Amino acid sequence: MQNTKMTVKQNMLLKGIVLCIIFIAGCAADHTTLPESFVNAAQQSTHTNNWAVLVDASRFWFNYRHVANVLSIYRSVKRLGIPDSQIILMIADDMACNARNPRPGQVYNNANQHINVYGDDVEVDYRGYEVTVENFVRLLTGRTQNGTARSKKLLSDAGSNVLIYLTGHGGDGFLKFQDSEEITSQELADGIQQMWEKKRYNELFFMVDTCQAASLYEKFTSPNVLAVASSLVGEDSLSHHVDPSIGVYMIDRYTYYALEFLEKVQPFSKRTIGEFLQVCPKRVCISTVGVRKDLYRRDPHKVPITDFFGAIRPTRVSTERINVTLANEEDFVNDVANVQPKKEFKIIMEPQFTAELLK
Amino acid sequence: MGLLSDPSLSTHNKLVDNLAKHVRKLCLALYTAGVVWFLCLAMPEFNHGTYLSENALSPGLVYPEIRIEANRLAVQLLEELQRERKEHQSTTPHAWIAAKFQEFGLETHTHNYTLRYPFGDGKEFHGKNIYGILRAPRIGSTEGIVFSAPYRVPSSVHVDITPSVPLLLAFADFARRKNYWAKDLIFLVTEQEQLGMQAWLEAYHDGDKESDSSDAYLRAGNLPARAGSLQAALNIEVQDLEVDYIDVKIEGLNGKLPNLDMFNLVQRIMAREGVVSGYKHTPRKKRRSHQSNYEQNLRQMLAMLSSQASGVPNGNHGLFHRYRIDALTITASKRVTNANVKSNPTSAAVPLLKAIEGIARSLNNLLERFHQSFFFYVIVNNDRYISIGDYMPALIALVACTFIKAYLTWSTLDVTVAATQSDPKSAGGKSTLAADTMKLSLPYGSVLIYLTFVLLIGYCGNVLPLQEYFSKLPLSAAPLTASILVGLNAIGFVLPFVVTLPPGGLELLHIGLLLIYGCAMIVIGLLNFSLGFFVAVISMPLIIALNTKASDKSMRNLTCVWTLLLNPLVIIYIIVLIMSFYQFPELTALQLLPRAASAAMDAATFALIDSVIYGNWLYFVVCTIFLPLWIISWTLVVGKRRDVEITKTKLKTN
Repeated sequence: MQNTKMTVKQNMLLKGIVLCIIFIAGCAADHTTLPESFVNAAQQSTHTNNWAVLVDASRFWFNYRHVANVLSIYRSVKRLGIPDSQIILMIADDMACNARNPRPGQVYNNANQHINVYGDDVEVDYRGYEVTVENFVRLLTGRTQNGTARSKKLLSDAGSNVLIYLTGHGGDGFLKFQDSEEITSQELADGIQQMWEKKRYNELFFMVDTCQAASLYEKFTSPNVLAVASSLVGEDSLSHHVDPSIGVYMIDRYTYYALEFLEKVQPFSKRTIGEFLQVCPKRVCISTVGVRKDLYRRDPHKVPITDFFGAIRPTRVSTERINVTLANEEDFVNDVANVQPKKEFKIIMEPQFTAELLK
Repeated sequence: MGLLSDPSLSTHNKLVDNLAKHVRKLCLALYTAGVVWFLCLAMPEFNHGTYLSENALSPGLVYPEIRIEANRLAVQLLEELQRERKEHQSTTPHAWIAAKFQEFGLETHTHNYTLRYPFGDGKEFHGKNIYGILRAPRIGSTEGIVFSAPYRVPSSVHVDITPSVPLLLAFADFARRKNYWAKDLIFLVTEQEQLGMQAWLEAYHDGDKESDSSDAYLRAGNLPARAGSLQAALNIEVQDLEVDYIDVKIEGLNGKLPNLDMFNLVQRIMAREGVVSGYKHTPRKKRRSHQSNYEQNLRQMLAMLSSQASGVPNGNHGLFHRYRIDALTITASKRVTNANVKSNPTSAAVPLLKAIEGIARSLNNLLERFHQSFFFYVIVNNDRYISIGDYMPALIALVACTFIKAYLTWSTLDVTVAATQSDPKSAGGKSTLAADTMKLSLPYGSVLIYLTFVLLIGYCGNVLPLQEYFSKLPLSAAPLTASILVGLNAIGFVLPFVVTLPPGGLELLHIGLLLIYGCAMIVIGLLNFSLGFFVAVISMPLIIALNTKASDKSMRNLTCVWTLLLNPLVIIYIIVLIMSFYQFPELTALQLLPRAASAAMDAATFALIDSVIYGNWLYFVVCTIFLPLWIISWTLVVGKRRDVEITKTKLKTN
């Protein structure tokens, strides 16, 4: 028995060596490129669903801009098709109902107060003091406590593309949560590694807008992670502008320019992540945007932005009656026969920024 | 065996020998270093630029929304108030103020208080404050901000500040229309200067706690409504709606100051609205002087320290500090009519109103009390300050040599005592052994009793003037207090001639003086730097010169005179004399001396009243710390002579 096993192993080894030699010989014979079909296959999107985890980690009225940041990103990913059930929105403080807010129940992301990003259809999953490092790590790693509502769980799988967006006050190697605790870059890296081991993502896009943001992705080792940060280690991320009628900074620079880009993206857009990584040159951002690509196998310029900021399946809005169970019923058959074709319609979302805004 | 009485340590060593040789030089060097360090603080290298460290304040991020209508309202209200004032020559038009508060939709209340005058033999004064609360519309009433304006009756001797109340009312009317208040705003009009404010604050914080207040001199009563814990307060004193410049007053009770952030906030917002504002600001004419930057800074510093030293607040804001509420007063000065400056009464106060609005909105943004910036600082310029870490070394250097001297005196104690006591012939080899036993047999008990008695004299200064049997004497307050103080000083003066301390007692007393003095100066300096520093500067040379072993007669006479000059009463008299000399330059010296004496008596009485009503501890410190320290010094100066004489006579008889 053992003998046969050995021979099988030896055989395998032999085959392997032969294959290697052939491969090396192939390379030596100036065939430096991989087969095209293989290359293309590697660049293809491989996900089946999309999730987004959007976190505002800081509280207090003077951090209004962080809430505006996260709500604006929320609005954008929702517009591009990720349903509320697959967006985990964490907001550490209630700016809309802060007693200091001259516009009660509303949050704006620019001084024109063009749209209220805290509109009717915002589903905040973790609010106020629920936004803690513990809850965030539990959420990522899927170790939520018993009894946690389904809407508060990241139910992603091996086919999910996950967008993680963090904003708040950071330092070298940490991001402050609330006013009492921090998540370190090591904890973040460990959490993401666990996600990978538990097959909770296919590809992960990590986006962070804080001071010294690049320090947060330094410790990552997990594959298929693409990270972008608003500033390098040692740099501050700055806010974009003040609304003097509310009396706070409205939005951060990096998020502002990221949104400006996202606004032009439509669900079937050909825009790529590669373009998105360049939205905020130092000229406008003042801080240097940091990008980490070494863990990511695809070329960002070939990855559509909707791989992370949208939902995979193109959805078709039907204005006609569709019956999925009672197709044989007579009245339905008659209805379908008599129905008039309706006019085509288009859903238009209002732009977040108007053209005349603060150029 | 204790560390200090360990014979292996206390024997003569090199350090003590060297120290004893150079102690005078060392002390003088430290003293000079302290004074020089203090003078250096005025140089820009030694102080820092101010900055706002509280993020939450976000000053100037909002555009002011207060408009010219508010100014119109203020002008109209001022006219009404002026009419009211004609009928109320020496009373406050409470009804009018309350009616206006109610008209603007504030929750209006009145607060009654009674002052039982300590020397009036049961005489009582009554007062009434009016306040209106604007409740924060969308949050519980857990925090509040106070905007106050003192009302002065037309018969007051102080400068007229009638427009403060209309300005406060105009701002209240504006604020009531806004929905963004996160703290209750209290608009408060007080009367009788600081008394009304003190009564209101006491009633606000302790009103409901007091069960029996018959003993208190100020019966503050209770308030019908409150607005949570007060976070900050702004006191407004406006001489005229046409504002020339703003003087920001910060010195509070016992030299306490509001957080530096609060001062910076006011400065920042005033600058934004284009209002000329500053600390100890003076009219433009005086500002155009040819002083150097350094000289200006030094003057500013000394001005601040001298106004802090007495511990009397220079505005109603100062009483808030007692309750850990950061507060300051903005005093708007009247514009002197100038042909070049065209004034427009319809919009004159708009910048000031805008600034008040800006300050209010920043204070509204506070998440907790001011805590980020400094509470102990000296302002050298409107935008420069010295922190406690930079100025304390000056005081410590001044005082440091008391501890060195105390150590030295203790170390050389054995020798002196051995030399005076033991037979010179047998001293030789056994002196160390004799010294060890000597330290244990020193007259600790009698020195302790002496110290206690001296402290008791000081304590009497606090208690006696307020006793009922004294207040029934046919004497008014000032002579009564003064005669009691003079009496106590006389006891202190005579004490060393009556009481003879056993041998070694004077040395022990000297050590006690040095340690108590050093600790007292540092503690007082920490709480009220200016008081500690000024006292240390004038008294430290005496402490250095004081030497129980001195044989130089002229030196001893000098210390004797210097000690007499440093008597607390003499110092108070000299200060008052200098002040009245500058205030009434037309008086001759003979007229000035009695006048200063009566003024000094008044000053002592006011200090006593301040201490019982407002909690100012200057009088207490002078009586309980400075007077006993002086008596001890005096004992050391004159007591030594007797000691020497005794030994001399002993030697003669031997």
